Formats: sequence, C-alpha cells, structure tokens
Amino acid sequence: MYMQGLANFIDDFLGGLMLISYALVVGSVLWSFVILRVTKADRASDGAVLSSVKLLHLGAVSLAASVATKLVIKGAVLASTLGELPIGAYAGTVQFRAGLLRLFLALGFVGLAGQLKKQSGTLCCWNAVGWLTVPLVVSGAWLVHAVGRFENRELLMFTTVVHQLAAAVWFGCVVQLLMLWHTGRKDAAAKALWPLAITRFAWLGLSSVVLLVATGLFLAWTYIGSWDGLFGTGYGSLVVTKNWLFLVALGFAYLNNRAGKRWRETGEQDSLTKKVPFYIEAETFVLVGVLFIAATLSSQPPSVDIADRTAKVAEVVDMFLPSMPRVTSPTHEALLAGEAGRVAVVNKIPSVAAKEWSDYNHNVSGLILASMGLLAMLSYFHLAGLGWTRYWPTGFILMGIFLFFRSDAETWPLGPIGFWESTFGNGEVFQHRIATLMLFVLGGMELKARSNPEARGLRFVFPVLCAFGGILLLTHAHAEFELKSEFLIQTTHTTMGLLAMVLASGRWLELRMVTPESYREGQIAGFIGTAAMFLIGVIMVFYREPLI
Amino acid sequence: MIQLLFTRLGQFLLLGLLLIIATEVSAHAVVTESSLKQHPIEINHPTEVALHFNAGVELALSKVFLVSKGDVFHPLEIAKGKKPGQVLIQIPALEEGDYAIKYKVFAADGHLTEDVIRFKVSAGR
Repeated sequence: MYMQGLANFIDDFLGGLMLISYALVVGSVLWSFVILRVTKADRASDGAVLSSVKLLHLGAVSLAASVATKLVIKGAVLASTLGELPIGAYAGTVQFRAGLLRLFLALGFVGLAGQLKKQSGTLCCWNAVGWLTVPLVVSGAWLVHAVGRFENRELLMFTTVVHQLAAAVWFGCVVQLLMLWHTGRKDAAAKALWPLAITRFAWLGLSSVVLLVATGLFLAWTYIGSWDGLFGTGYGSLVVTKNWLFLVALGFAYLNNRAGKRWRETGEQDSLTKKVPFYIEAETFVLVGVLFIAATLSSQPPSVDIADRTAKVAEVVDMFLPSMPRVTSPTHEALLAGEAGRVAVVNKIPSVAAKEWSDYNHNVSGLILASMGLLAMLSYFHLAGLGWTRYWPTGFILMGIFLFFRSDAETWPLGPIGFWESTFGNGEVFQHRIATLMLFVLGGMELKARSNPEARGLRFVFPVLCAFGGILLLTHAHAEFELKSEFLIQTTHTTMGLLAMVLASGRWLELRMVTPESYREGQIAGFIGTAAMFLIGVIMVFYREPLI
Repeated sequence: MIQLLFTRLGQFLLLGLLLIIATEVSAHAVVTESSLKQHPIEINHPTEVALHFNAGVELALSKVFLVSKGDVFHPLEIAKGKKPGQVLIQIPALEEGDYAIKYKVFAADGHLTEDVIRFKVSAGR
C-alpha cells in the first residue's frame, strides 16, 4: 500500500518535472534561433551558444529520464492498484504510445545537443534541432487532459498544445537568461550580449504572454464554465492560484523589461546588472510553481464535470473566517474509538473526535507559526532589546516536538504500537516521522544560518525548501475525502502553497540583493516573505476540517 | 564540518519532503451520472448498473468491486456501454443492507482514479 502511494506521488511529481524539462528544451531552441541567432551571420559568441546548448542538453536528458520513469512508474501504479499488470493493454494505451514517442524525440535531442556541445556552429545540427521541435510540441496533444474528452476533443488538444508552447517559451527563455548571466561572469562576449538579450527577449516574452492569456481564457471557459466552478472546485481554485503566480511572474517580467528599455534609451546598465538577474531568479521560482500547478490541473476533474459537487462561495469563505482556535484536544481514547467507523467503506461513520484532533493539531501549529512570523517581522526593525527575535526559527523545533506527539495517535509515545514497528511498518507513520525530523533539521539549519555569518551557503537552503514545500502544498490532494470536502481542505492548502512561494521568492531576493544599490528592495522583499509566513500561520490557526 | 552535515541533512530533507505526500492519488475520471439514482437496486434482484464517466475509460486496466458489510470486497464484471464513457456493471442479487461500489479506473488521459459509490438495498423499493 505504501509503495503504491509513493508510486502515485512520483507519477504526479514527474508530470511537473516533464513539463519543466519540455519547457527547457523548447525554450532553449527558440532562444538559440531568435535571441542567439545561431543560423544567422550575426550569431552570438561561442560561449553564449555553448551555454545555451548545455541547457538544451540538460532539458533533453531530464525529459527523456522523466518520460521513461513515468512510463515505468505508471505501470507500477497499475500493477499495485489492480493486483496485476496487463502489459499488452497498458502498451496499447494512447498515453503509453505518446509517451514512448516523446521519449524517442527527447533522445534525439540528447544526441543532437551532444553533437552541438562539440561543435556549436554546425548548421545542419541546428536545422535538425529546429525540425525535431515540431513533433515534440505536437506529440504533447496526446498527453493532455483533452485527449480523454468527448466534446471538442481536437480543438481542446490543439489549444492546450499552444498554451503549453507559450509557457515553454517563457520559462525556457527565462532560464536561458539566467544561464547567459552566469556565462557572462567569465565570458566578455556573453556579458556584452546580456542587455541586448533582455531587450530581444521582450517581444518574445510578450508574444508568449498574449498566447498564454488567449488560450488560457478559452480553456478556463471550457473546463470551468461558471463562477461557481472557478471558486468552488479544486480545478477552479488551482486556476485562480496559477493566475496569481502568473501575475507575480508578470510583475518581475515588467521590471526586467523596464530596465531593458532604460538601457536602450539612456545606456544606463545599473538595474540590468545589479537587480535584473535576481528578479529573474525569483521569476524562475514562481514559474516553476506555475508549471507544477499546470501539471496538477491534469489530475483534477474539470469543474464542469462536477457541478453537483461544487462548493458554494460562502462555504469557501467560511474556511478562512476567523474563529476561536481549538486549544483543547479530544482524548486519545475518543479518537481511537471513532477510527474504525471513519475509515469504513460501508457504514462509514464520521468521527467528530478525528475532526477535532486534526483541528487542534492545525490550530496549535498555526499559533506557533504565526508567532514565528510575527517575531521574524519584528526582527527587521532592529529594535533595542529585541535582538533575540532573530532566533524565531526555534519555533520549527517546537513544532517538531508537538507533531512528534500528535501526528499518530495509535503509535508510541501515545499509542500501543512501538516506535520502530510503527515507523517502518506503516507508510503514513513513516512520512510523519520524516516530517518531524525535517522540522528539527530546518529549525537547526536556519538558526545556524542566521546566527553564523560564515554559514552563507546554508542560508539559501531555507528559500529552496520553502519553494519546494509550496509546490507540494499546491500539488497536494486529500484523496481520502469526498470531492467537495477535499476541495474545501485543498483551498486552504493551495492558499498556503501560494504564500509559501511568496516566502521563498522574498527570502531569495533578500539574500541575493545585498549590494548598496539593491539592499533596501531586498529587505522589503524579505519582509513581505516573512509576512507571508505569518499569514500561513493565521490560516492554520483558523483551520476547520470538514466532518467526514 | 557542521556546514557539510547540515547540507547533507538538507538533501535528506528534500527527499523527505517528497515522501510526505506519498499517499496522494490522482483523480481525474469522475462519475457524472449513475443509473443507481433513477433505478435503485431491488432486494434479491441481479441488476445492471450504468456509470457514466467524464472521460474515456480503459476497461482492461480497470477494476470494480462490490463492498458489503464489514468491508468485504467482491470483484464485479464490467463491460463497455453504448454511450461514450459509459461502463456497465453486473451486480448480483443482494439482500437488504448497505453496500458500496468501489472502482479503480484508468482514464484515457492516463490517470488512475479510485472512488466509492455508496448505496442502500431496502424493502419497499
């Protein structure tokens, strides 16, 4: 059962990874042809082209690996769920065939990029790369939501492919911009290309955004169809969250574009070299989140199909309304007594004790997290006598201790099942133990990073983990619940995921923008990040689980 | 040395985060219509139940079970219906009581979905 759960998760996670890899490949191709002009006489320097080819190669390897792994994992999930794997039937599915085709195409890119790494000026290789991109993009049509639909199937497949293509161009080129910036540190020609690349990318980025919006609106209209569907279903709420992140990314793109425009008009490069690279890093964080949400959308039923299981806006609002946090817990005995009925398929009996147990866990964790956020915000003001507020990460350790006792009522130290027996005998308990350990490590690591000036590298672990945690919250589903209950829980989790991405981007900018010219903006970004952490805590304080 | 230790722990942490939500199950193919609503099952009367899914279903990669009191699972025969996305399920004669249909279906878009439809068999219907 545990292996099945793990395989299911890896299957979904690989969907996001595939999308990112695909975007790297397609974006790199467009970047090479349009920005670097690899087939023209005024092509960019060898250093710049080589760095682009390296990313193309990385994307292709990652795409091939993720597609191949996904095909195997999907087979494993099927075998585990069905108790057997009819290989012939599996190999005959559209998904398997389209996946296999994409695998071969990705391997083709691996080979061509390998050649270009040796000789980046080979024109026939570049032409082959250009032509190979066409079937790669088209093959995506059989790997999307639309392929299983009965109405407007072809139109939806086409629109989704165009939507994916536009997203791939944006994301792939943004990562290429970062790559060029890093190459420019050692290569003078690449450094000279940097402002030009920013301005050349402007129209390509703008075209992508226009395509994204146009196709996105059509897809949203078809799959969601109503305001209730937008705000009252998991699919709709993910689209809303995706759009919020999209706007944040668009904000960064605007700042970059503005700096490029200023360079064109006045020749001033300060913003382009001292701020824009870090904005692009933060934009990349956000776009990774957007791509993972896009992958998660494909595992959600479209809103139009579950009109009878759509939550009302009032019910959604109710999940966020302030209420007294639960600071008393039901007894351990009461919780265990209700478990058999709660997990039964037939004669299922909702457990009030389980709901209250969960509310208490969330609310107390929220109180700790909100306090941490408050202290972290206070620490920015450097007030006399409040220097101790910088030790706010201690709260993670406190949360770890709390969850160690509360997460699994039936196991040691509260229940009769022993520590080792429960940890390695039950997948869910194992996950909770890992989560507890993570909180201890995160607390220790961030404390060390903030109190020791020597531990510079360590400081970047926190925003990376926050972004990763945010992605997990955005892609997390509560499959054991009914669709509507699942959505009501999901709506709080996606909001927290969105805030976690804000926290990650804010802290990242704060750590990166340390020059005198950008210090103030970095501090503001960091403060916004900690405010996001505070808000996550507040949402958890008011969390109320639906009774199931 | 301590920094290296923390870096290693950080890597472990990333792996751990991956495991945290390992119980997630994909959910795409959903039942949009069920004949159980219009034609409830009668006592001791074998019945064919039609489920309509929102996406195409690969029958060879799908399984449906009847769940009776005490969560006892019995595999059921399934067949393709005449309409797109329709799956026909043969339910045997049942005594009065609470039951459920548990399905695990592989949708044409590659997502495996598990869900439960609960129903009651009672006299007077």
